[in-house]
Amino acid sequence: MDKNVQEERFTEMIKFTPPLYKQRYQFIKDLVWKYKPKKVADLGCADCTLLWMLKFCSCIEVLAGLDICENVMKEKMHRLSPLPGDYLQPAERSLTVTLHHGSVAHKDPCMLGFDLITCIELIEHLEEPELEKFPEVVFGFMAPAMVVISTPNSEFNPLLPGVTPFRHPDHKFEWNRAEFQSWALNIARSYDYSVEFTGVGPPPTGMEEVGFCTQIGVFIRKYSQTSETARFEKPTKAAYKTVFKAVYPSLKDEKYLQIAVVSEVVFTAQVIKRNLLDHLHSEHEEYSDGPVEIKSKSQHSENCVSEELAVEKCMEPSVSGNVVYIPLTKIFSFPKVNQLCGTFEKLYKLIADKVTLSSDGSAMVVDIEQEYEEEEN
Amino acid sequence: MTGRARARARGRPRGQEAAPPSVGAVSVKFQISAGFQEMSLGDRGGRRRDFHDLGVNTRQAIEHVRESKTGSSGAMIRLSTNYFRLTSRPQWALYQYHVDYNPQMEARRLRSALLFQHEELIGRTHAFDGTILFLPKKLGNKVTEVFSRTRNGEDVKLTITLTNELPPTSPTCLQFYNIIFRRLLKIMNLQQIGRNYYNPSDPISIPNHRLMVWPGFTTSILQYEKSIMLCTDVSHKVLRSETVLDFMYNLYNQVEEQRFRDICTKELIGLIVLTKYNNKTYRVDDIDWDANPKCTFRKADGSEISYIDYYKMQYNQDITDLNQPVLVSQPRRKRGSLMPGPAVLIPELCYLTGLTEKMRNDFNMMKDLSVHTRLTPEQRQREVGRLIDYIQKDDSVQRELRDWGLSFDSNLLSFTGRVVQAEKIHQAGRVFDYNPHFADWSKETRGAPLINAKPLDNWLLIYTRRNYDVANALLQNLFKVTPSMGIRMNKAVMIEVDDRTEAYLRVLQQNITSDTNIVVCLLSSSRKDKYDAIKKYLCTDCPIPSQCVTARTLSKPQSIMAIATKIALQMNCKMGGELWSVEIPLKQLMVVGIDCYHDTVSGKRSIAGFVANLNQGMTRWFSRCVLQDRGQELVDGLKACLQTALRDWFKWNKYLPSRVMVYRDGVGDGQLKTLVNYEVPQLLDCLRSVGKDYNPRLTVIVVKKRISTRFFFQSGGRPQNPPPGTVVDVEVTRPEWYDFFIVSQAVKSGCVAPTHYNVIYDSSGLKPDHVQRLTYKLCHMYYNWSGVIRVPAPCQYAHKLAFLVGQSIHKEPNLLLSDRLYYL
Repeated sequence: MDKNVQEERFTEMIKFTPPLYKQRYQFIKDLVWKYKPKKVADLGCADCTLLWMLKFCSCIEVLAGLDICENVMKEKMHRLSPLPGDYLQPAERSLTVTLHHGSVAHKDPCMLGFDLITCIELIEHLEEPELEKFPEVVFGFMAPAMVVISTPNSEFNPLLPGVTPFRHPDHKFEWNRAEFQSWALNIARSYDYSVEFTGVGPPPTGMEEVGFCTQIGVFIRKYSQTSETARFEKPTKAAYKTVFKAVYPSLKDEKYLQIAVVSEVVFTAQVIKRNLLDHLHSEHEEYSDGPVEIKSKSQHSENCVSEELAVEKCMEPSVSGNVVYIPLTKIFSFPKVNQLCGTFEKLYKLIADKVTLSSDGSAMVVDIEQEYEEEEN
Repeated sequence: MTGRARARARGRPRGQEAAPPSVGAVSVKFQISAGFQEMSLGDRGGRRRDFHDLGVNTRQAIEHVRESKTGSSGAMIRLSTNYFRLTSRPQWALYQYHVDYNPQMEARRLRSALLFQHEELIGRTHAFDGTILFLPKKLGNKVTEVFSRTRNGEDVKLTITLTNELPPTSPTCLQFYNIIFRRLLKIMNLQQIGRNYYNPSDPISIPNHRLMVWPGFTTSILQYEKSIMLCTDVSHKVLRSETVLDFMYNLYNQVEEQRFRDICTKELIGLIVLTKYNNKTYRVDDIDWDANPKCTFRKADGSEISYIDYYKMQYNQDITDLNQPVLVSQPRRKRGSLMPGPAVLIPELCYLTGLTEKMRNDFNMMKDLSVHTRLTPEQRQREVGRLIDYIQKDDSVQRELRDWGLSFDSNLLSFTGRVVQAEKIHQAGRVFDYNPHFADWSKETRGAPLINAKPLDNWLLIYTRRNYDVANALLQNLFKVTPSMGIRMNKAVMIEVDDRTEAYLRVLQQNITSDTNIVVCLLSSSRKDKYDAIKKYLCTDCPIPSQCVTARTLSKPQSIMAIATKIALQMNCKMGGELWSVEIPLKQLMVVGIDCYHDTVSGKRSIAGFVANLNQGMTRWFSRCVLQDRGQELVDGLKACLQTALRDWFKWNKYLPSRVMVYRDGVGDGQLKTLVNYEVPQLLDCLRSVGKDYNPRLTVIVVKKRISTRFFFQSGGRPQNPPPGTVVDVEVTRPEWYDFFIVSQAVKSGCVAPTHYNVIYDSSGLKPDHVQRLTYKLCHMYYNWSGVIRVPAPCQYAHKLAFLVGQSIHKEPNLLLSDRLYYL
């Protein structure tokens, strides 16, 4: 992060641990944990570091980033893609991450209906005309439930050697607290938000009067609005270009739920089968004498066949010939299967054409595979 | 033979489709410029592993193949292969520029921004890493000076100087193609794991074993004989939908508590795990049972933090089991001059990947897996074609390629190969023909007398009480099958034993005499510890050939006779008998096979098997192994082996061989240079040291089984496997090598994998055709399989030996056994 690197250099004398930019991100993460927003957008997302951190927050289902520079976004955008692990054990929540190329001075319906929009060290990079449009776009059009805006506090600058005139060459201005707060309060008034001020990067002892190094305004919308009405009221043409989109595998998606359920069921069935056969085998080891394995096994299975109906009712698996019957009620009683499916009907629906079921559909049929071993040497 | 050994002998490549990713693989970043940063580092001599052994030019030193390295015999066959030509515009070149900034600018992004202010000059297509600029076109001047202005008004002078005009075949260009290509794969949404790319959105789930298979591709672009080509093959990544912690719990429920840690360590060490929270793979080197997630570590900024808090803060990952141990992974590669400390991983947050040795030995699992991973030639060709189709159809991919002036052929490369004549099998005066398509003569030679049958005058048959009947059945069947082979057999000394390891060992100690020919142990289960103990005792303390048989193998009455036949043949070889031979026209020839086994569990030792023929007919072999500890040079041990082999050869033949031909297997990607520069000179030294006037001709051939090359034989409109005996020494070989491919084995299902042979040193003056034919002949000589295998027999013997020592014996077997195939 360029701006972070730059700032690092300036703040060498006054050392922030963790670094200031991390503190800003942590501030957002804390906010997310507190308010549990489902849809979060980061305006001026640059190399997507904040978005990457936020994708681990399990409350978020929609993440969006917007930046004026496509190349910066593209540089590391692939870290927003799902990981192999996300496919191996899909999460309960769904998550879609989208990156847009565009300006905060333009309105695009894709930014409607968000719970939280963050603008971290963004406004000071805006030219006069963009800054003028910014409140209307973010607070008037996007109108999320919550907005967080951070910007340098120029009163802190004298403590940062070498800042001439601004902390970063691309900054168009840096405000003191009074300037920022009057701008913010004005916005809050116009768009029906409340605002509170805080910051990160506390001043050194004895210099408390300069305030935080980074000042932050947290805006909360005072009126309630559903995302549906927002969309209806504000039909606008798309102004942004989508440069990246990733849909995370989720158990909410029937396809992944089915894969997860079927693998759990088949694995569970294998465990039951193995235990059952081991049990039978050890009985045979104890009571039988000599190599009459085949005979004793078939005897046992005959017994099972005659008892089959009774056995199924009492939820216990049974052996018959070369197959094992495992009642679905038994499988459904396993915590993980139960948790994944919720209802017995759902379980049945998901596995019905993926595993072999008994003719009446009440039990799963598992082959006793031919133990295959070749001669050792 | 175990199922796995059989599979390997049959030529199934180990883990070809399920290879664990190599750790430390160069991960090429998405950004071209980032890629180039690595490339330029490489150019400056930085550490960058060269998996393709580029720049090892061995052919030029072998005079008689400088002009031509192709053979001549055999029938022509039309083949196609999984290679696609990369074509560039005529007179194509890549222009390399150096960009200087005055005043000096530090940040790479700033440097890029300043340069790209002059897009009208340099053009839309460029690759820049902050210093080196690659362009598909040449600028007007050799040195161009331009001025840019930073956002805060500072003027910067940029000097763009042409440093290199790279022809399409230059190594830098090759790396450049590969980077571009990997970028294309990323555009296609494939996930990089290790060196290959996989498609996670369409996984194949094998719930029986909690496996997940991702289809994907291996790709590489290299300079081949006549053109630059993309070689791409279907690859399958086996992932496990269970975490290491799940695995531990599962195992805990299966084994006795006091053995748990031991078994768990053995199972996990050496495996590659994939972390949940980022896309990194690590090799498990150790398990720290004393640590747990509550332990703390020092972060880069100096603060102490527990693993729980760290993962919660960093990745929002909750660790629920606070008593689990932690995994330790040692870094593979140095980063710069700094050796990073070991990585500590939490089992709950790691997925297992690949297969354990135990899983590979699980026949049912491998069967379930192969249903998905073993593709017929037709399926494979279709999958490979799909990738190239995608490249041709995707607009952004095409634009990228067009901008650079590159394109790929849309058809598989096709060319002509040769099928050499089938070998005749000679056995005790009789000559057998067999169907060359099946490459198997077990039916034809069944019941025929052997070249050299060792008598079973005095032998032991050890069994447990339960298996008394099976032991008798085996004995009866051996009596039935041995006479026609010419094996004289007395009734075995039958000994009943308790089913405990100590009982077996006691019986062995009490009953083996100096007259004992062989010991046969009938084991009640395939439990490895008993097998290991027996083998260890009989290979080291009390050197006697032994044959272990699992009782269950003999339990089916319909197959017992066939199995008894195999056992009789195997026992005969172990006692120094000879089964069959093929005609070897070259005289005074010593053939050496070397293969390595890497023991990942006990002490991380590597074991090299060394096998050399003792007679002209290649029916008797000298076998020894080298146990190499970490940091030791393998070649020192190999020299000692070669010296003993020559001494024994002299004892047998009363002269020394005039030619030595070494087939060297077990050479990893990127190790060729070491072999050429170090191992070959040492072997030469060793030969020279034998005697002043002794100056045999030496040939060293590197044998490689794990390759991506596949050949298809178009027959009846459908791609088929090429027949055994197919030799390819054109088009897909490398111009700087004396190399060739042979398809020697036949496979019943899936795609046959050719074996690659690279002659890295050759003072024999033999024609390429003769080397190819001899190599093929040697693939007929593996006595544990009545058919052609995929490597020369001495390599397979060396593999068997190294495997036995590495898996069971863990020390050098007694040299008294070295003239027999006791490890078969």
